[in-house]
Amino acid sequence: MTVLEAAHTSLGGFLAQVTPIQAPEIDYAAILPMLIVLGAACVGVLFEAFLPRYQRWSWQVALTLLTLVGAGLALVVYLRDNPQQGVVTLAGVLSVDRPALFLWGTLLVLAFGAVLLIADRSVEPGGAFVSHAAVRPGTIQDRAQAARLGMQTEVFPLTLFALGGMMVFCASNNLLTMFIALEVLSLPLYLMCGLARRRRLLSQEAAVKYFLLGAFASAFFLYGVALLYGYANSVRLRDIAEAAAGTNRSDTLLYAGLGLLVVGLLFKASVGPFHAWTPDVYQGAPTPVTAFMAACTKVAAFGGILRVLTGAFQATSWEWRGVLWGVAIVSMIIGAVLGLTQTDIKRMIAYSSVAHAGFLLVGSIALTGEGLSGTLFYLLAYGFTTVAAFGVVSLVRTADGEATHLSQWAGLAKRSPLVAGVFTFLLLALAGIPLTSGFIGKFVVFSAALKDGMAPLVVVALLASAVAAFFYLRVVVLMYFSEPSPEGPTVSVPGSFTMVAITLGTVITFVLGVWPAFVLDWAGAGGFAFSTT
Amino acid sequence: MTGLVLAQAATGAADTVTTGEAVAFWILGPLALAGGLGMLFARNAVHSALWLAMSMLSLGVLYMVQQAPFLGFVQIIVYTGAVMMLFLFVLMLVGRDSSDSVVEVLRGQRLAASVFGLGFGVLVVAAVARSLTQVTPAGLNQVNTTGGGNVSNIGRSLFTDYLFPFELTSALLITAALGAMVLAFTGHDRKRRTQRETVVARFRGEHARPSPLPGPGVFATANSVATPALLQDGSVAPESLSEIIEATAAEQLAEDLAEVSGRVAGPDPRALRGPAGTATAPPGASATAGASAAEGES
Repeated sequence: MTVLEAAHTSLGGFLAQVTPIQAPEIDYAAILPMLIVLGAACVGVLFEAFLPRYQRWSWQVALTLLTLVGAGLALVVYLRDNPQQGVVTLAGVLSVDRPALFLWGTLLVLAFGAVLLIADRSVEPGGAFVSHAAVRPGTIQDRAQAARLGMQTEVFPLTLFALGGMMVFCASNNLLTMFIALEVLSLPLYLMCGLARRRRLLSQEAAVKYFLLGAFASAFFLYGVALLYGYANSVRLRDIAEAAAGTNRSDTLLYAGLGLLVVGLLFKASVGPFHAWTPDVYQGAPTPVTAFMAACTKVAAFGGILRVLTGAFQATSWEWRGVLWGVAIVSMIIGAVLGLTQTDIKRMIAYSSVAHAGFLLVGSIALTGEGLSGTLFYLLAYGFTTVAAFGVVSLVRTADGEATHLSQWAGLAKRSPLVAGVFTFLLLALAGIPLTSGFIGKFVVFSAALKDGMAPLVVVALLASAVAAFFYLRVVVLMYFSEPSPEGPTVSVPGSFTMVAITLGTVITFVLGVWPAFVLDWAGAGGFAFSTT
Repeated sequence: MTGLVLAQAATGAADTVTTGEAVAFWILGPLALAGGLGMLFARNAVHSALWLAMSMLSLGVLYMVQQAPFLGFVQIIVYTGAVMMLFLFVLMLVGRDSSDSVVEVLRGQRLAASVFGLGFGVLVVAAVARSLTQVTPAGLNQVNTTGGGNVSNIGRSLFTDYLFPFELTSALLITAALGAMVLAFTGHDRKRRTQRETVVARFRGEHARPSPLPGPGVFATANSVATPALLQDGSVAPESLSEIIEATAAEQLAEDLAEVSGRVAGPDPRALRGPAGTATAPPGASATAGASAAEGES
C-alpha cells in the first residue's frame, strides 16, 4: 500500500513538472470524407475477420459502395458552405482547399466506377480475382481452385485504404505526411496487382516489379525530403518556399532535394523516363485494378505534383522549369512512339497513359490559375475515359480469359457493334477529337501553357497527340475494316456492375465534351491554401 | 568507450566537435561504410544481412555521439534488434542458399547500371559536400535541455505537429498485416475426405490402384526407408522403391540375390558363412537381406 502511495505521489510529482500539450485543432467537417473512407477500410478488415467466407463478397461490396456514396455526400454538404480560401487543419498538415476538394470529388467518383469493375462477377465467373492468393500457381491446388468461384474479398478494404492514401496525398501540406500517404496508397496497389485469377505468374511478376521499383522511387522521394529538410529546416511546403525566397545559403541542397523529390512523384504519375513499370504492371494486373490504378493514381500523383510545385517551388520555377520541359517532351515522345509498336491492347493503353502524363505535366508546370484548373479538368476527363476503356477491355474474352492481343480484336464491330462503337468513342476521346472530353482537356491545358509562354512545348505536344491519334485510329480501323477470325474472341454481355461503370465513363466523357463549363468552373474555383493561419 | 564519449558530448562545450567525437567518428564512419560495401558485395544473403547490421550499429552509436541518444537507441533496438533479426529469420526460413542468377537479361545492363550508379553517387556526394562545408550546425543542445529533454520533445511533436502522419501510419500497418495474410494464408475451408469416402473413390478408379502402395521393407530386414519390400517370390516390389531416394539397398539386394542363386561366376561362400564381427564380414544389412531372400525362395 505504501509502495503504491509512493508511486502515486512520485507519478503526481512527475506529472506536475510536465506541461500539458496542446492538441491540434481538427476541422472534422472538412476532413470527414477522408475519415469516412479510412474508417470504412478498417471496418472492411473486421468484416474479413468475422464474417463467414460466403457472406463476405456481398457485405464488402455493400460497405464499399455505401462508403463512397457517403463520403461523396459529406463532400457535397461541406462544399455548400466552405470558405473560399480553404481550411488548413491538423496542425497545418492537411489543407482542404478548392483544388483538394475537386481532387477528392474526382477520386471518389472514379473509385466508384473502379469498385464496380472490381466487384463484377458476371464477366469472369467468380470475379477477376483469385480465390486463394497463397496457393502457388501451377500446382494441383491451383488447378483445383480455378474451378472455385470465390474471390479474395480483401481487395475491397485494400481499395479503400489506397483511396484514403490518395485523398491524403493530394491534400497534404507537408512532405512527411505526403510520404506516408504515398506509402498508404502504394502498398495496397502492389498487393492488388498480384491477385489476378488468370495468368497468375504474369500478375505476380507485375506485382513484384511494381513493388521493387516503387520502393526504389519511395527511397528517392525520402532522400529528397531529407535534403530539403537540411535546406529549409522544415518539411512544410510554405517554409521551404520562404527559405528559397529569402536567403543567401547554398541552393545546392534545394535543387538536389527537388530533383530527388520530383523523381519519386513522376514515378507514381508514370511520366516520361520513369515509366518503365507502367506497361508490365498494366498488362499483368487484373483489369479492374489496372483501371483503378490508371485513373486514381494519376489523379493523386498529379494533385501532389501541382501542390508541391506551386507551394514550395514557385519562386524558383525559373531554375527547374527547363528540366521539366525536357521530361514532358520525353514522356510525350516515349508514349506516342512506343505506343505505335504495341500489339497488346493493355500495353497500348499503358503507353497512351505515359503520353497523357506528358500532356498533364505541360499543364502542371504552367503554375498559373489556368494551368491548375486545366490540369484538374484533364485529370477528371482522362480518368473517366480510362475506367470505361478498361471496362470494355474486360468484356472481350476467349476461353483463356481476356483477349488482349490486338489481332484478336479484328472485326469486332461485326460481332458486337455496340461494344465496338463505345470503344471507338473512348479511343477518340483519348486521341482528343472534338465532342469528347479529351478535346476540351487538351484544349484548356495547351491554351494555359501557351498563355504562360510555352509555345514550343505546345507544338511538341500537338505533334505527339497527332502521332498518338494514329495508334488509336489503328485499333478503330482494325475493329471495323477487318474480317473477324472464326476462332476469335466472344464479347461477354456485361452484368449490371460493369454495365454501370462503362456507361458512367462513356456518358461523362461525352457530357464533358459538349458541356464542360460546369466542371471547368468548379476546377477553377480557387487556388491552393498553404499558410497555417 | 561509448560512455566516455557520451559524457564528453554531454559536458563539453555546446555544439563544438570534441576530440572524443572526432575519434568516434573516424572509427565508426569507416566501419559503417565497410558494412554497407560488405552488404553489397557479400555472396551469401545471411552475410549481407549481418554486414548491414554492423552498419546500423555504427550509425546508432554515431547518433548517440551526436547528442541524440534516444534516436541512437531506437536505431539499435528497433532496426538492428528487431527488424534485422526478423529479416534473418525470414532468410533462414526461406533457405539461405538461394543464390542470385548471373545471367544478364539485357545486354550491357550491368555496365550501364554501374556507370549511372557511380555517376549518381558522385553527384550526390559532391552536392552534399559542397553545400555542407560552410554551414554552422544547428546542434541539438537547445532541444536536449529545454522542454523536458530530447524524448519529451519528440513525444510532444508526435502528438501535436505530426499527430496526423503518426495516426496515418496505422493504415500502413493494417495494410501490411492484411497483405501478409492474403499472400501467405491458404485457409482451412477445404473439406477433408473421410476414410470411407477415400476407399469409395479408390474403387471407383480415381486412383491408379485400389490398394495403397506397398510400404518399404523397413524392419523386415533393415531399418532404412530405402529398403525395398519383397514379394512372395523374393523379388523386389518395384512400387515400394521411392523415386527420390537412392535405392542402394535394392542394388545390394539384387547383387546378393544373384550371388545366392548362383548366377555370379565363382561365388564366395564366406560371404554367407563368415562369422559376424570379423573384419572381412559383409555388412549385416546385406547378409540378412540375402538370408531373407533365400528364405523367400525356399
